Amino acid sequence: MNWKRTLGLDNLSEEYAFARDESTGYTSAKKIPDHWVPTTCGYCSVGCGIEIGVKDGRAIASRPFELHPVNRGKLCPKGLSEHYTIHAENRAKYPMLRKGGKLVRVSWDEALDVMVERFRATQAKYGAGSLGVLSTGQLVTEEFYTLGKLVQLGFGTNNYDGNTTLCMASAVSGYKISFGSDGPPGAYDDLERADVILLVGANLADNHPILCQYLEANRNKALIVADPRVSKTAMMADIHLPLKPRSDLALLNGIAHVLIRYNLVDREYIDKHTAGFAELERFLDAYTPERVAEITGLTQETIFKTALLYGRAKAGFIGWTMGVNHSTLGTATVNAICNLALLTGHIGRAGASPFSITGQCNAMGTREAGFTSSLPGYRKFDNAADRAELAAIWGVDESRLPAKRGWAYPDIVEAAVAKKIRALWIIATNPLVSYPNQDVLRHGLSNLDFLVVQDGYHPTPTTELADLVLPAAIWGEKEGTYTNSERRVSKVNKAVQPIDEARSDFDIFLAVAEKLGCRDELYPEWTTVEDAFNEWRRVSKGRLCDYSGISYGLLAEHGAVQWPLAEGADPNRTSRLYSDGEFQTPDGRAKLVCTDWAPFPEQPTRSYPFVLNTGRTVEHWHTRTKTREVPILERLSPRAWLEMNPRDAKGLGLHSHDSVDVVSRRGRVRGVELRLTEITAPGQVFMPFHFAETNVNEVTQDAFDPISREPNYKQCAVRVERPGANV
Amino acid sequence: MTTLPLMESALLSTAARSLVQIEGEPTPLIPARLLEAGEQYRFHFDMTKCIGCKCCVVACNEQNGNPAALNWRRVGEVEGGYYPYAQRYHLSMGCNHCLEPSCLIGCPVEAYTKDANTGVVLHSADTCIGCQYCTWNCSYGVPQYNAERGVVGKCDMCHNRLDDGMAPACVSACPEGAIAIEIVNVAEWRQDYLSANAPGLPSADDSISTTRVTLPKNLVPDTGRVDLQRVKPEHPHWPLVFMLVLTQLSVGAFAVLWLLDMLGRGTGLTIAALASLGFAGISLGASTLHLGRPIYAWRALKGLRRSWLSREVLTLSLFAGAASAFAGMLWLDLPGRGFVGLLTFVAGFAGVTCSARIYIVPARPAWFSGYTIAEFYSSALLLGPLFVQMVEGQVPSWVRFAAIAGAASQLITQLLKFLWESRSDVFELRASSLLLSGRLQNLFVTRLAVLAVAGVVLPLIATHGSIVVTAFGAALAGEWLGRYLFFVSVVSKNIAAAFTSGERRAA
Repeated sequence: MNWKRTLGLDNLSEEYAFARDESTGYTSAKKIPDHWVPTTCGYCSVGCGIEIGVKDGRAIASRPFELHPVNRGKLCPKGLSEHYTIHAENRAKYPMLRKGGKLVRVSWDEALDVMVERFRATQAKYGAGSLGVLSTGQLVTEEFYTLGKLVQLGFGTNNYDGNTTLCMASAVSGYKISFGSDGPPGAYDDLERADVILLVGANLADNHPILCQYLEANRNKALIVADPRVSKTAMMADIHLPLKPRSDLALLNGIAHVLIRYNLVDREYIDKHTAGFAELERFLDAYTPERVAEITGLTQETIFKTALLYGRAKAGFIGWTMGVNHSTLGTATVNAICNLALLTGHIGRAGASPFSITGQCNAMGTREAGFTSSLPGYRKFDNAADRAELAAIWGVDESRLPAKRGWAYPDIVEAAVAKKIRALWIIATNPLVSYPNQDVLRHGLSNLDFLVVQDGYHPTPTTELADLVLPAAIWGEKEGTYTNSERRVSKVNKAVQPIDEARSDFDIFLAVAEKLGCRDELYPEWTTVEDAFNEWRRVSKGRLCDYSGISYGLLAEHGAVQWPLAEGADPNRTSRLYSDGEFQTPDGRAKLVCTDWAPFPEQPTRSYPFVLNTGRTVEHWHTRTKTREVPILERLSPRAWLEMNPRDAKGLGLHSHDSVDVVSRRGRVRGVELRLTEITAPGQVFMPFHFAETNVNEVTQDAFDPISREPNYKQCAVRVERPGANV
Repeated sequence: MTTLPLMESALLSTAARSLVQIEGEPTPLIPARLLEAGEQYRFHFDMTKCIGCKCCVVACNEQNGNPAALNWRRVGEVEGGYYPYAQRYHLSMGCNHCLEPSCLIGCPVEAYTKDANTGVVLHSADTCIGCQYCTWNCSYGVPQYNAERGVVGKCDMCHNRLDDGMAPACVSACPEGAIAIEIVNVAEWRQDYLSANAPGLPSADDSISTTRVTLPKNLVPDTGRVDLQRVKPEHPHWPLVFMLVLTQLSVGAFAVLWLLDMLGRGTGLTIAALASLGFAGISLGASTLHLGRPIYAWRALKGLRRSWLSREVLTLSLFAGAASAFAGMLWLDLPGRGFVGLLTFVAGFAGVTCSARIYIVPARPAWFSGYTIAEFYSSALLLGPLFVQMVEGQVPSWVRFAAIAGAASQLITQLLKFLWESRSDVFELRASSLLLSGRLQNLFVTRLAVLAVAGVVLPLIATHGSIVVTAFGAALAGEWLGRYLFFVSVVSKNIAAAFTSGERRAA
């Protein structure tokens, strides 16, 4: 006890002193760093420039990087407090190996020896494909590129996927089918230039708040938001389309129907640059406004109004996020969005684009360089020329490149249940919170012979199950690049040393390769991430995602730049794909796709009368391994809640703040705080997915898109009851 | 080619552009010119722009180096309408830099100043003694007590940044430009400050807030706060619970002793007087434990011109002095006691009155009534006579009936106050009554029962002995319980909070 403080002689005035600093202005003295390190935010894919303030080797402050083109001097609340994620209580600090049932600290040498030995033994016994790898969208591009080679060529398994399949896979699949390649065509600038903006299942205000600046700056827009919930973003809209859950595909088809029927299409563009119009026109006959009104619950007038606004727009923009992707019809819905853009020619021009707003800070990097759902550089597994080209660059035998994609994320989990996957390496993702229907996942993981979890944090629900925990350096402790939603490559810099024995994922991958004996072959003379980046530039050269003109030197000079950037191209231009109407298909024409609507798989019943929707809150990131370490974010959003319409609650005798259980056929979430609100429609309930303590994925459905393999997180049937209720 | 139906053609002629309001050039976020005479700075909050991202809260905490539990800027939620025509808006509030700052008016140590040039309400952590009276006075819950430091803190509009031509932290952090600093003409604002009011904000009448709020044009009429069902008991302030009841006991006892002495009881009263003096001493000592910085308790005399807390300290100190003199004169059987006793009584009465006035603040509706004075006087009337009777044994029967009258008036006060609260249209009052009839029900019923039994029944059936000792002990405990309930059942005015946050309690 400090007696001076008890008496009041001391009021901690030094601790709370202020100071004037040239760079920060007048501010709390303890928040004034020795120097600032510019980097890119490590949360979402908006890709904001950020500076980390460093004092005595510790990160003590975050602020927007004023010169960065994306965020215009602003950050969201997570970015503004991001430095708290580094010196956090629950960081993974040492390699931990399970011995006698307990995780005990071991040396890196022992950890990697055991890991490689166990993986090799498993593969020797059950085949190369019995090793699965689940990666992430959180690493730097250089690490994704390195890891892809290590898994596919080093370990020789193609059962490798990322948590991006839980997130953006439907956009990827949709783009590939419609345009012949992945790659979001537009740019953020379009949000400011479009005169009609349609957002489908996208709650930017909570999930990408910094993009709202672009909307705010666009004073001539009509903003239309399709969302069954009156989200923050829906409230910003000029027209909100409160459609029934997962009826978006019918709405999009209905819009296309009206566009064609009233000749609001761009016939010239269709004739020159697309294929399949005649079939689509016939197919859309069935999507009359009458029928679409019935499916969506919208009025015919609203459907007409939306179609006419988009059709008559000078530059129409359609943005979407998880409301579209998290669906068994995710890919089809993306195709329907692309159809609208192609029918009207709203693509490849300023303001005009179909545009997926990505989730994780570097989901784009793994899509381009990661070697999971495609070969690096948007190359295709089943394309012999692509394989040959890559093999030549790498100097390896063509036969070592898989000719088809391995299992996707959910299929790896189901293969673990079926004991076909026997060892698993999970990197920077936390499926014990994020995977739908946790029971199946727990079953699968319990079948494994060996589970390695490589993460920046420990304990997490996933590291707690691991046989081996590898402590990774996180954002702020390592170098590389992130690529954001608008294909902008932005430098990630190291501000502080990794804590304790944590190592960058890049170093871990090289060390594993060393143990495996393939380091020299796969990574000849590599020492730094820049070596990886430079090889990736060569690999991407001439591809749609061309990085060849981007170097660390150029990024230092020009800041973040957009791909494609061939050598010698102007780094400062705003880049849009398909401006010339040439697509990545064999005939260069984009494909108009006939995509039929169907109801979501698990319809409400008498026993499970509510449709459960899931989503985010602005204060938290994904499974909260990072943001639970940030006191101010925990203060602002301390726990999960369940939104329910008051009219439904009346029937159940429930009140706001009641503790309720959410029950589906698959499980139960216990003790969620009820929030009664008219934001949510009668018959629907909503719950955020960040909270391990009350994990909504105990009840969500493990139903997946047949093409993208993305889960249908957004709709399942539940009931809501008081804890302990007997049914 | 199909032609468009008439309705849709008409729609097209009113296409995109007419659906959105085209506004003029965005205004700068901090004033472009210097203040002139009769002007001050103020916040402007544009509810139509705020998306509830809470960047301002995080930036404010970082700017001021505050721990997460303290938020000088807070973001609340208000909601209205029916699905799908539901609306939720956010309310980001720092300090309102009021024209009549209730924090400043109440402060006993003059830690608050209203800057003569900028109008910013400033608080000095070095002057502050941590009495937390300002946290009761502000209707917006702006001043917040930092227990780690032992002092209060609040938003100062980052005026040091403004002086340097830089925007305050909240202003510069807002991605939507929803917060700005602007210049207001004080005299004009005093005439018409309607736009300081908004759903989710307490009335600007309490202190004439200067914050201008731009509301959405189509705000639905039932738009209101979302945190109404989360009412938690307030902080009990234990040192004050003990201090208030003991001073009231002491004042009541000295009044009885003075009267008995005047009526000729004389020297036999010494023990009771010394004991009562002891109570006064203990209570004054205990009251300093409530301070964040007890060593500076003496500073509380500085604010006599404005602060009831200063006046309480003065009058109770005078009471303690006079009571010491009176007790000493009783002991030594000196003459002239009548006058000193009268002084003691007057100072004590004034002290209890000042104590009560401290709590009669608009920001705490359950305290903001004559019931507070009645409650404090009743305690004195019940406990003082009962104590004297217990110590002295044989006293005239009016002493006993005085105690019974005190208990009865306390009972009536409590019941009427509860009825008044429960029938009120004011949310905070109704919430107080719900606390008393809800989670505090057992304590409230016990409190009333103790009053009836220890204050009325027992004094009626016995005049001395163990029953009176029991009655006094129970009555004292009952008043302590009552004062505990007084503190915990008050629901203060505040800005609307967010639904899940734990920030309803400011102090």
